[in-house]
Amino acid sequence: MGARGAPSRRRLAGRRLRYLPTGSFPFLLLLLLLCIQLGGGQKKKENLLAEKVEQLMEWSSRRSIFRMNGDKFRKFIKAPPRNYSMIVMFTALQPQRQCSVCRQANEEYQILANSWRYSSAFCNKLFFSMVDYDEGTDVFQQLNMNSAPTFMHFPPKGRPKRADTFDLQRIGFAAEQLAKWIADRTDVHIRVFRPPNYSGTIALALLVSLVGGLLYLRRNNLEFIYNKTGWAMVSLCIVFAMTSGQMWNHIRGPPYAHKNPHNGQVSYIHGSSQAQFVAESHIILVLNAAITMGMVLLNEAATSKGDVGKRRIICLVGLGLVVFFFSFLLSIFRSKYHGYPYR
Amino acid sequence: MAEPSAPESKHKSSLNSSPWSGLMALGNSRHGHHGPGAQCAHKAAGGAAPPKPAPAGLSGGLSQPAGWQSLLSFTILFLAWLAGFSSRLFAVIRFESIIHEFDPWFNYRSTHHLASHGFYEFLNWFDERAWYPLGRIVGGTVYPGLMITAGLIHWILNTLNITVHIRDVCVFLAPTFSGLTSISTFLLTRELWNQGAGLLAACFIAIVPGYISRSVAGSFDNEGIAIFALQFTYYLWVKSVKTGSVFWTVCCCLSYFYMVSAWGGYVFIINLIPLHVFVLLLMQRYSKRVYIAYSTFYIVGLILSMQIPFVGFQPIRTSEHMAAAGVFALLQAYAFLQYLRDRLTKQEFQTLFFLGVSLAAGAVFLSVIYLTYTGYIAPWSGRFYSLWDTGYAKIHIPIIASVSEHQPTTWVSFFFDLHILVCTFPAGLWFCIKNINDERVFVALYAISAVYFAGVMVRLMLTLTPVVCMLSAIAFSNVFEHYLGDDMKRENPPVEDSSDEDDKRNPGNLYDKAGKVRKHVTEQEKTEEGLGPNIKSIVTMLMLMLLMMFAVHCTWVTSNAYSSPSVVLASYNHDGTRNILDDFREAYFWLRQNTDEHARVMSWWDYGYQIAGMANRTTLVDNNTWNNSHIALVGKAMSSNETAAYKIMRTLDVDYVLVIFGGVIGYSGDDINKFLWMVRIAEGEHPKDIRESDYFTPQGEFRVDKAGSPTLLNCLMYKMSYYRFGEMQLDFRTPPGFDRTRNAEIGNKDIKFRHLEEAFTSEHWLVRIYKVKAPDNRETLDHKPRVTNIIPKQKYLSKKTTKRKRGYIKNKLAFKKGKKVSKKTV
Repeated sequence: MGARGAPSRRRLAGRRLRYLPTGSFPFLLLLLLLCIQLGGGQKKKENLLAEKVEQLMEWSSRRSIFRMNGDKFRKFIKAPPRNYSMIVMFTALQPQRQCSVCRQANEEYQILANSWRYSSAFCNKLFFSMVDYDEGTDVFQQLNMNSAPTFMHFPPKGRPKRADTFDLQRIGFAAEQLAKWIADRTDVHIRVFRPPNYSGTIALALLVSLVGGLLYLRRNNLEFIYNKTGWAMVSLCIVFAMTSGQMWNHIRGPPYAHKNPHNGQVSYIHGSSQAQFVAESHIILVLNAAITMGMVLLNEAATSKGDVGKRRIICLVGLGLVVFFFSFLLSIFRSKYHGYPYR
Repeated sequence: MAEPSAPESKHKSSLNSSPWSGLMALGNSRHGHHGPGAQCAHKAAGGAAPPKPAPAGLSGGLSQPAGWQSLLSFTILFLAWLAGFSSRLFAVIRFESIIHEFDPWFNYRSTHHLASHGFYEFLNWFDERAWYPLGRIVGGTVYPGLMITAGLIHWILNTLNITVHIRDVCVFLAPTFSGLTSISTFLLTRELWNQGAGLLAACFIAIVPGYISRSVAGSFDNEGIAIFALQFTYYLWVKSVKTGSVFWTVCCCLSYFYMVSAWGGYVFIINLIPLHVFVLLLMQRYSKRVYIAYSTFYIVGLILSMQIPFVGFQPIRTSEHMAAAGVFALLQAYAFLQYLRDRLTKQEFQTLFFLGVSLAAGAVFLSVIYLTYTGYIAPWSGRFYSLWDTGYAKIHIPIIASVSEHQPTTWVSFFFDLHILVCTFPAGLWFCIKNINDERVFVALYAISAVYFAGVMVRLMLTLTPVVCMLSAIAFSNVFEHYLGDDMKRENPPVEDSSDEDDKRNPGNLYDKAGKVRKHVTEQEKTEEGLGPNIKSIVTMLMLMLLMMFAVHCTWVTSNAYSSPSVVLASYNHDGTRNILDDFREAYFWLRQNTDEHARVMSWWDYGYQIAGMANRTTLVDNNTWNNSHIALVGKAMSSNETAAYKIMRTLDVDYVLVIFGGVIGYSGDDINKFLWMVRIAEGEHPKDIRESDYFTPQGEFRVDKAGSPTLLNCLMYKMSYYRFGEMQLDFRTPPGFDRTRNAEIGNKDIKFRHLEEAFTSEHWLVRIYKVKAPDNRETLDHKPRVTNIIPKQKYLSKKTTKRKRGYIKNKLAFKKGKKVSKKTV
């Protein structure tokens, strides 16, 4: 963007030069007269402002978020004559920075900026831009900023206040929250339009076509639909997923496991009974499945035909699965409910 | 108390030879663990003694084994009822016979109204004490089943001259109904599998914590009776699908009617039964029985459900009920095509069939969409919608998200509420699907849908619990059947005998012919080469151990987690003695005695029902959270500063404000901990005035100490909670004003009120009540009168000097002294 921005400005200037002598001459004369009367400073300021806004509009016709480096930041965001609000995301998107949060925040920010860019209410009162750490290190130093991503609002007049920094820690960086914050700061209401998530639809369509294709290929032999084992497997999978709390994971989004920053120990089991890690729920899923399998094996051993020795082994394996894994489950439960038994 | 009876039961079961005796012993052991006192356990052991010779008679071929069998089942069911009832009495024994928590207080209040004013008066009851100034039409906005049930029992008892207070009826209603639930679970499981599994399921559901959580004595809530209605409806539905008789279906509809009158969860039934029918159609298991059952159920059930005032026209106007209507239409089309099949050739029929079915399905679907779009059918309500789109409530309806029952479920809560059952019920599901038939399709669908809903919302664990009990019972009963039954065969080698007994045992099970025949064959083989007595007894013992652990766990959970009335709190000293903290009732009684009868009390909505029920005063908002903007207004008053809050309170005619403060005793459920929800809900309606971020420190923390945000330290809720708390030193190790709940020294110790005054604070400061002062006649200024800052440059200097001591008057009129006219001259 930076490389592309410069020539465009030059081109613009050229165009203006070409127009000056012909069409707008009387107008210019008038303006000149006015300027002489009102004082040169005002005129210069207005001109500068108009130029800046024009520049920004030009950019925003091409993309919704402008990348800023130090110079541009100072010119468009810091320098005083402004009549527009500017939202800036300070971030570090270079791969070597390894900032995964920045990337997620960037996506949300992109959604927000696009919703604004393509909305009917779009005007030159609000622009979105970003500063990458590796392109504008000086900006970060100037603002005394040491964490990314950070969202800031630069109001048309004056310096940003405390509330002009978005409270990322608490609210999170969902586009809706950002829009709410912007509405709060600038009175510009952005209706966030998320591009519909086609991945789900595509996956569904793929699945349906796959199943349909399979059915079509095997249309002469549809016995497998009546395969009870398959259906039983599917329903058990749903049951295990739910009883091990995958839905909780889906809604709350806990980390996979917790690594203690001091001694580097990784704990897979959450200490409190109110929460869980993803890894923990997977462990529980396996334990539940093992216990269920033990019960099924016990039944198999008693009902199947076959030689007795084999059945005895199946029986003992089943019993072992039930007893061992249930005790294991119980001990995990106990570690979460401190002082659990009988008090 | 629990320990000694455990080996006894194991002993018994290993001695006895029939599977039924094993079940019997289970019932005993469970009961033994469950009695709230040792005495009860003895009684149970005593009660179990008489049927002990029964198994011997059964295997020995006594003249009437069926008689023994039914006696045994009867005894087990009775003991399950007793065990379920007595394990729900912890709260009554520890505290007293009292209504628990929040919602039950409203139910109790309405039941009281019903009992004292009669049925019609109750239906027309307009409650002007709630939602001031709006009021509430109670008769039209409640599910009246609970109140009518309790009122009816009260009326019958009083007619029989057994004088019971309505409160006691209410307190003991849920434990009594738990017995009925276990009987209907027994019936349903018997229909699905066999009698043994049914008895086990009845025992499970009698004590499982997932159900006890909503049905302890004193928890007088809809769910207490609704689970019975749910299970009974399902039993009758399965029965009517099996028999195809209109009689059973009409019974099912009546039971459904009872369910509709009792709980909003009836929507689960009206969606599950059509789903069952639909899946049966897909599986090509359509039969006349299904047609009769569903057509009758849909029509009669629809009409009956519309008789409840609160439900009204919803069954034909809302999306939740449209699946049932769609399946009804589909079923009619399907039946019509079946009828045509007899009259057409195969080729003709096939084209017509596919055309017809797809046309019917498409037409139904499109018409539902069209009607929804044009507004004839209301779209999904928020609560239901949030079940599908799990992120919906969090963004759009903070009031739903704020309720802890509406959170998703961790695996811990599954295990906590169901213990061993949650690990074994998939096995039961497996067996059911492997040996599928019409009614097992139903139970499989029930299990899968219920487990999904329970995963999304903790509260719906309640609907999952019965099916988990049934399926685990099937799994366990399968194991016991093989591992106990073969022992018996080893003792009685003749094959005919065992098969004979098998026939007798499953007289009600003839529909399941395929399964039975298979079992028959395998059992014959087993007698030739069994697994051996050692392995069998080990398996049996370990399984019984697991069940014993389950019983102990259930007792523990019931006693520790689910038996607190939350109206009365208890704390334990180091030596184990108990302190009862009765602050809530103390404060409510104070309100009742010392305030005007029509005084209006403002509090957060959690306490609305209790204030109405115990203090009998008018409340602004209560637990029936139907009016979000009203709640937001109260939230705004609580989170604004005193002056702004006073304006709101004046407009709402508030006389008293009640807050719950737990800082003295370390009670964590107080209003400061709930405060952020008040702010959030208020922000949702008044985003200009209340901003959540103002209540946090710049670091994004919520703190009540000096570092806390000034907005928080000066808002009404903070001031009311901590008024004069800064003067109080609880402990010599902590500074004055140390909040034990949040472990912090409060930040604003110098709290003064202008428009409020403290009216009452309970013994442990748990409840604080403030009186809102009437506006002053003449407003006093709390600041000095404004002084102009134009200071005269030169001060007025007195012209008095020592010489001219006499004052003078400027521009004094000079009097001319006249002369006195002397009379003499005249």
